[in-house]
Order: sequence, then structure tokens, then C-alpha cells
Amino acid sequence: MKRDPLKPKGGLYYYMQSTSGIVGALLLLFMVIVSICAVFGWLPHDPLEQNVEFAMQGPSTTFWFGTDEFGRDIFSRSLDGMRRSLTVSVSAVSIAATIGVTLGILSGYLGRWFDQLIVRLSDVIFAFPAILLALAIVSTLGNSWYQTSLAIAVVYTPIFIRVARGPVLTVKEMDYVKVTRILGFSSLRILRKHILPNVTAPIVVQVALSLSWAILTESGLSFLGLGTQPPNASLGLMVSEAQSIAAFAWWALFFPSAFITIVVVGLNLVGDGLRDALDPARRSS
Amino acid sequence: MSFGERISRILLSTPVLRIGSILSTLFGISIFVFLVLRVIPGDSIVGAFGIETGVLTPEQIAQLKIYYGIDKSLPMQYLSWMQSFLTGNMGYSYSTGISIASLTAKALPVTIELALIGTILGVVMGIAVGTFSARKPGSIRDFAGQLFGLMALAVPGFVLSTTIVTIMANKFHYFPNGYEFVRLWEDPWMNLQQMMFPGLVLGIAVAAPVMRTTRSALLETVDKDFVRTAIGKGVNSRKVQTRHILRNSLIPIVTMTGIQFGYLLGGAVIVENIFSLPGMGRQVLYAITRREYATVQSSVMVFAILFIAINVITDLIYRKVDPRIKK
Amino acid sequence: MKLSKKLAIFSISTAMVAGVAFVAPAQAASKDLAIGVTLDIDKLDPHTATSFSTVRMLGLTYGSLVEVGPKLDIRSGLAASWGFNADSTELRLKLRKNVKFHDGSAFDAEDVKASINRVLDTKTTAAARANIATITSVTGSGLSVLIKLSVPNAPILAALDGVNMSMLSSDDIAANKIGKTVNGTGPFKFVSWEPGQSVKLEKNASYWKAPVKLDTVTFRIIPTEASILAALNAGTIQFSVLTSPTVALQVGKNLNLYRTPGLGYVTLQLNARVAPLNKLDVRLAIQCAINRAEVVKTAASGEAKVVGPITSPAYASDPNDRPCPNVDLAKTKKYLADAGYADGLTFKAIVSPTQYATASGTAQNLKAQLAKAGINLELDILDNATYVSRWLAGDFAAAVANNGGRIDPDTMYTRYFPSTGNLNKVAGYSSATMDALFLKGKATGRAAERKVVYKQISQELENNAVWIWLFAPYEYRAAAKNVTGFIPLATGSLIELRVVDLK
Repeated sequence: MKRDPLKPKGGLYYYMQSTSGIVGALLLLFMVIVSICAVFGWLPHDPLEQNVEFAMQGPSTTFWFGTDEFGRDIFSRSLDGMRRSLTVSVSAVSIAATIGVTLGILSGYLGRWFDQLIVRLSDVIFAFPAILLALAIVSTLGNSWYQTSLAIAVVYTPIFIRVARGPVLTVKEMDYVKVTRILGFSSLRILRKHILPNVTAPIVVQVALSLSWAILTESGLSFLGLGTQPPNASLGLMVSEAQSIAAFAWWALFFPSAFITIVVVGLNLVGDGLRDALDPARRSS
Repeated sequence: MSFGERISRILLSTPVLRIGSILSTLFGISIFVFLVLRVIPGDSIVGAFGIETGVLTPEQIAQLKIYYGIDKSLPMQYLSWMQSFLTGNMGYSYSTGISIASLTAKALPVTIELALIGTILGVVMGIAVGTFSARKPGSIRDFAGQLFGLMALAVPGFVLSTTIVTIMANKFHYFPNGYEFVRLWEDPWMNLQQMMFPGLVLGIAVAAPVMRTTRSALLETVDKDFVRTAIGKGVNSRKVQTRHILRNSLIPIVTMTGIQFGYLLGGAVIVENIFSLPGMGRQVLYAITRREYATVQSSVMVFAILFIAINVITDLIYRKVDPRIKK
Repeated sequence: MKLSKKLAIFSISTAMVAGVAFVAPAQAASKDLAIGVTLDIDKLDPHTATSFSTVRMLGLTYGSLVEVGPKLDIRSGLAASWGFNADSTELRLKLRKNVKFHDGSAFDAEDVKASINRVLDTKTTAAARANIATITSVTGSGLSVLIKLSVPNAPILAALDGVNMSMLSSDDIAANKIGKTVNGTGPFKFVSWEPGQSVKLEKNASYWKAPVKLDTVTFRIIPTEASILAALNAGTIQFSVLTSPTVALQVGKNLNLYRTPGLGYVTLQLNARVAPLNKLDVRLAIQCAINRAEVVKTAASGEAKVVGPITSPAYASDPNDRPCPNVDLAKTKKYLADAGYADGLTFKAIVSPTQYATASGTAQNLKAQLAKAGINLELDILDNATYVSRWLAGDFAAAVANNGGRIDPDTMYTRYFPSTGNLNKVAGYSSATMDALFLKGKATGRAAERKVVYKQISQELENNAVWIWLFAPYEYRAAAKNVTGFIPLATGSLIELRVVDLK
């Protein structure tokens, strides 16, 4: 295969150069396939159906991951749980990233009172117990998966504000940006040409990391009744519920934990791969 | 980074401005926590009496409202709380009849010690594994180190804690946390035994991001010109490693550690529960479930003050390790 | 490996071993019992105490006029004997001789008068006020007391038991010292309370009953039950109170496990004032769709007893005496069709998963069972204080609840089902028949007649499917092998620690 050596290589090329990126992409593919199966109901059993006769059975050919105390199939529940966990964390992080990045860039770029206000507000949320915040949101707005997402989003927004604002402050002070400003280029152009490219890498990495944290946060909230509502399954809820029966049924704890590990490891590796691909300094190595 | 930068900018401005902005943040937090608590359903009476509230007569309820100070209007409730917070006793915890200031004086050192031990263990493990990984990028040892970092991220703290507790108690008949909690100055050896495992659980959580930050910071610094120059000049490799590379990688590590320490203060609830440590996390959680407004409000304020203090300290450390920031 | 490294590892591991040896329980002459509990106490005033943990601890330090025995019979406590007048409107008590408070002062009729009046005073906000509201006056002197009642009320005797009816010193009440100091007549004296950590008690050497053998008792707060079990296995505590069936099932042969069916019961409360549950047929359809044994097996790991409405042993309902004691989906279908819901229906239940161990499991299994009958039960999972506020306001269609039981069915249900009950809004149901039956039960003194009345009440509740009564969870006490003589009580009281010895 010949390739024009002068043609600039795309991001994908650099992404595929990194081992972590490839492994991460494979794990991500696995998660997506699992979620699709769950969305279309391609599962061996109904994840909600209880059948006491089969309660607390170990892994077998009928129940690949065994059953829980209600006789529910843990394999089907893990798949469905993966879908729910991803739904919650993807929506939470999307909201947090959109709002956080917008506010972060604006506050870094505009400065003055706006910057002060945003930074102050994000400090308020930062220094606030997440459980209390989630409790407030869920008990005033009701609890279904999107309220949980919203609660997690509020907790994560300040992180994105910080991540986006930092590079903007640095870039803004750089000589070439100052020059373009003096030359009278529009703010929008400066944002697009100079600022956005510089904040993309840290944000993308932060998104991947936050996705994996959000899954663990959802688990903690579920434990307190503020996350996914039983009998529906999320990976975190399955783990916290299985905790009490783990002494008699290791599989009830092991398989959902393994799925969480896959998600967290996968998302982090994707984050690494993206960082390698997006960071011009690393491309050389 | 941005927070530290903001603080550093504040430090550069006049002291009055600096204190003013910190105070306005704290004021915002105080209003926010006050309102959030009033929004969530259930009040102090329901929190304390549970379903027995329903058996109380209207006269009894009226008495209790006066007792819990929730008979007054919201602004009055806020002002009277603020007054007690500022004058020192921070209000009273209704279940114990003790001032929140003295409850906090007992609980806060526990959580700070726990967070410090967690952070120290985490930073030591994180930097060790990170350096170990970065020596030879792409090698088997790099892979092993990175795997450690990822696993440490993926295992929820409560699973790790319960596993440790069960194994130690059932196999080794060892569970020092079953004894009365003792303070460091009362019996340092017993105290360290009680802090060892919860500290380790938190430490593992801290180690993961520190390890990853260390590794990537080291790899980045290796490429920098001054390091190449040093190697070129023939400075021996161990010296390059410690003096040039590690020192210059410290800034992101310090930032990461500062953030993690702040999180640990708030995130120690589960570990404090499983290991039966009478810290701040438990104090706040218990007060939330019982709707003890003053306790929650004052504890959150203490957290916020600490959080800001840590950021200021982190920023001061920056200046120590990176002379360029002085300007 | 370098020598220095080896040395370091050696010294650390030696230190660890030494540490393990160091923390092993020392065999001291003093008999000290450490009890692991999940929750701290929340006050020292016995009359306003409502949380289990507070009631349990204060029960060791205070005494009441009557006591409940292991068979839930009413026995003499600080009152040595008693008798009613012919129409049950006067109760005459003879107090026990030589009973002393912990501060050394003698217990007499003055203390009884002051204590009962304190409970009746609305300013006290006492928890038991409603139970003894029929008391119009307390008189007497020396060791004899006369209690007058506004209406015939035989169950008043049972209402005099318990921590909420503790006898306090009249001097302490006058000096406003209640809740600040603990000065009772119980087998143990209060020593100290370290909030969030422990409560310490010591032996009351002049206790009126047989001499107490334990020198000290310490309640140690260990918030998770799995950690309590770990502490028992490690020998750092000797006794514990557990509620989670899954933790209790992990108690090994190295410990003694006491398993007692409690008086409390788990139920699906239906609010008959809210559509569609206002239709009797709908409630009966739900009743016929639920297999209680399956709920017990899944939610409580088989560790509970299926019960009817009344759990008080002397009056216990027969769990098979109800419409559809076994699942009957054909009947469910018929009832649904009769109610006009042939295509099924949806209703919502509030659940508080942190309130008790089996809450979430019970709710999930009920949902699954009802789904098979075409009934969609939606679960509204709430934090506990939110749950309780909505429960108190009657703001629910259904509630998965774990309610406390009493040794007398009147004190157990008079707050719920008569239309005048304080919690009738929560009960969601009332009827003229029910009101009449409760009045009859109160006025009847003879046990045989009362049994007939409460059987009728029980049937009335079940035939109208007022609530769906499910099961009574067990109360667990786990103890080290060297703890001897403990007698568990269904009320959850630990009073029998007064006869416990440490070998």
C-alpha cells in the first residue's frame, strides 16, 4: 500500500499507532455490542424475571453467570446493567462536558466578573458533598435514570470548567494570540482557530476518565436509593446488592465487578489512545 | 491547574481582595447548603422520631418545632445558624446535645489522619509504580504497572474494604477496628493498626491517578530539551532521573495529589463506615439521614474551608517546586 | 535483595505478628461485655426515645412497673402486684419494696406519679402518651398507687411496660435533669457516652433482682453488620445485635446465634382511599396474587415467618385464615375483571431501602409476582426521611413497610385502624365495624373474650385486604461461646443481660 508521504495523516492513524488505543477500542466495541444486545432484548433470559426454583445457582450452561437470590439470570442482568450504566454515565458526562466546557472557555476568555462568578459557583459545587446534592435533585425532581444523570452531571461540571478554563488562560496570554487580537480578528475566529484546538486534548481525555468515574459514582448513589431503581439493573447496583450474598454466591459479585472493570479499563485506555492521537508532541515518538 | 492558577492570581492581588473572594465563595456555599436542606423532604422532627412522629399531638409538634428551631422563618433560621457558626460553637447537635464545634473537633482529626495516610500511601505507591512504568515505556514492566493503575481505578472501595475485613477477621482473627477507636496520641501503635487498612483502601484509589500522572509527566519531561542537554553533558542517569525529570514532573503530581486529598476528605464515608472510624464522613451522613440541619450545614462549611485551604497550600507547594511561577 | 531490605522486611513482619499478639483479648478478672450495634443512641431521655438503639440501651438502665417475659407474658416489674376494679376503670398497684435508684434514693409512689404525669404532659413529647391517654389521675403514697381511667381499659397494663414508660426519680423530674443524667432502677448504671463510638455501663450492685454478674457492658458502634460479624470472629466484641438474614446466615459454629421471631412485621400497606386501591376487588386481586413463602425465600433468604395481621403471641392470627392463603391467579383474574381492570392495572409503592435489610428485596419480589398476574407495581425508592414524611402524610398508593409489633394487639393497632387513630391517615382504611370492634376489645378484661374480638378484627382486616401482611423477620443475637445464660426476647430488649455471665 502506497501512501503519499506529504499528505497529513489523520487522527485515526495516530490513534491506531497506540497499543492502549487498540485494546481500548476493542473493549469499547465489546461494550457497545453488549449494549446493543440489551437494547434489542437479545438476551438468553428476561433480566427482570424471577424464578425462585433456580435461585442462587452457580454458573451453568443454562445460566452462564449463575443466578441471584431471586433466581434472575446474572448474565442477562449484567448485559442489561452495562447498557443502563453506560446510558447514565454517557448522558451525565455529555451534559457536564457541554455545560462545563462552554462555561470554562467563556469564563477563561472573557475574564473579569464573569470569570469570577463562574469560578466561584464551581467552587461552591466542588466543596459540596455529592450525596447531599444528589439527594436534593432526586427528591425534588423524582428519581429515574435521567435525574440520576443530572445529579452526576452537576457534580462533574466544575471539573470540566477547570479543565477547559486552564488552557484558555494560558493560550490567551501567548504572543501570537495577543497579536491576532491586536490585528482585530473576531473573538469567534480566535476561539475556533487558536483556543479550541488547545483545549480539545485535555477535554477528550477528561471525558473518557469521567465516563468511568461516573459508573462508580452511580453505583454509590444506587446503594443509597438515589441511582438506578431496582429491579432494574445497573452494574453498580448489582455489585452493591451482591455484596451481602457474596459469601454464598461469589458469581453474583464477580461477574458484574468484572464488567465494571472492563468498562473502566476500556474507557481509560481509549482516553490514553485519544491523548496520544491528539497531542502533536507525542506523535513524533 | 486552573484552580491553582486562580488562587495564585488571587495571591498576587491585594490581600483584601483575596480574602474577599474566599469569603464570597464560603458565603455562597452556606446559602446553598442551607437551601438544599430545606428543599429535601422530611424535617428534624421526622428525622428524630421516625414514624412515631405520627403519634405526636399538634401541641407536641409545636413544642418540638421550637426545640429544633424550625418554628422561625427561613432568614431567621439562617441568621441564627450563622451567628452560632461564627461565634464558635457552630450550633448544637440535637441527638447528642453537644455543640457541633466539639463534635467536629473529635471527628475532623480522624478524617484528616485517614486522608493523610491514604494520600501518603497513594502518592508513594503511585510515584513508585509510575516511575517503574516510565523507565521502559512499552515493556512488560510498563504493562504491569499500567495494569495496576487501571485495576486500582476499577475496583470499588466498598468491595475492597469488605473483602479485607472478611479475610482478616475470618482467617487471621484480626480486626483491630472492633476495639474502641483510639487516637494517635493515646496509643500510636493501636491507632496505626486501626488506620492501616482503611488508609490502604483510600491509598489504592489515590495511587491510580497519581501513577498515571507520574508516568505521563515523566515521559513528557524526558523529551524536553534541558533533559536531553543534561544527558548530553554526561550527567549520570540516576541524577537526571531525580534532579531533572522527577522534579519537573512534580507540578502535575502535586496538583493531582491536592485534588485527591480534597476528594478523600469527602469520600471517606464508606470506608469510615466499614472500618468503624468516627470521622466527619459519618458525622455528615448520619446528620443528613436525621435532618439535623445545623450539623450538616456546619460540617459542610468546615469541609469547604479545608478544601480551600488545601488548594492554597497546593499552590504554595507549586511555587516551591517550580520557580517559574514566581514571576 | 540487599541485606538492609531483608532486615527491614523482617522487622516489619515481626512487628505485625507482635501487633496481632498484642491486641489479643487480655484475660482480665473484670467481666466486661462488648456489644456491637450498627446505630448510635440519640438521646438519654427514656420517655421520648423512639430509635431501637436508644430504647435497647436505656432498657438496661431504667425499669418499668411491669415487664414482658420470654413467652411475652406480663410479669411484675417495679410493681409487685396489681388488680382492676370490676369495670376496668381503676388499676391498683402495690410497688416492690427496697428498690433504689442508681443515686441511692428510694423508689416509691411519688416517683410513679411524677413519671406518669411527665409522660402525659404534652410538653414532654413522650412517645407513649397516646397509649396511656385514658389515664385521668394517679394517686397514692408509700408503696401503693391508684390509677384511674376515663374509659374501661384493660390493655393499659401492657401499656405500662417498656422504656417509654420508665420510672424516673421525682426529684430528677423536678430538677429538670431527665435526658441530661441517667438515674434509673435498672441492672446497669450509665457511665459515659462517646457520640458515634460507644456507650459504657457498669453493674448496679444494689439491683432489686438477682445480683448482676457482668461488671461492665459497652455498646460499641460498628456501622455495618458485616463488620460486626468480623469483630465477633476476631474476638474484639463478645455480643451483637443483627438484623440482616444474610449476615446472620454467615455466623459460624464458633459463635452462638439466637434467632427469635420478632413482633414486627413486613407488609405491603395499601391506601384504600386512593384509586384504584379504593376498590375491594382490586385489593383482593393483589392479595390472591402473592405467594408469601416466595417473598420470605427471596427477600429474607428463608429467614422469617409468614404471619397474619396480629403477631402478639397470645392473640396471633392464623396466617392461613385469609382469602387466598395460597396464590390463586384465576381468582386474581376474576377480581380484576369484576373491578373493571381485566387488562391489568398499575399502582405505585414507596420503599425505603436503607430502613431495614429486607426492604429492597421484598419490593422487588412483590413486583415480580404481581407482574405475573398482570398487575404493574411501580417502585418509588426513597431515602428514609423522605419515605417517612410521605408515609406520615398518607401520600402514597402503597408502601412496603416494616412496622413494629406490640405484645398487646390493642396497643399494636389502635393507632392505625380505628377512625380516631393517630395514624389512621397512614392506614388508609376505616369502617364502622372496625371502630366498634376496637372499642369492644378495649373494654373487655377477660382474655378468652378478647381473643374472640381480635380474631374478628384480624379477619376483618384480611377479608377486606386492607393491607397485605407478609412476614415477621427474625431478631438475631450473636454471641461468643463464653457468654452464658442469655435469654432473647421477641421485644428486642436486652434486659436479660442481667443474668448473663462471662466464662
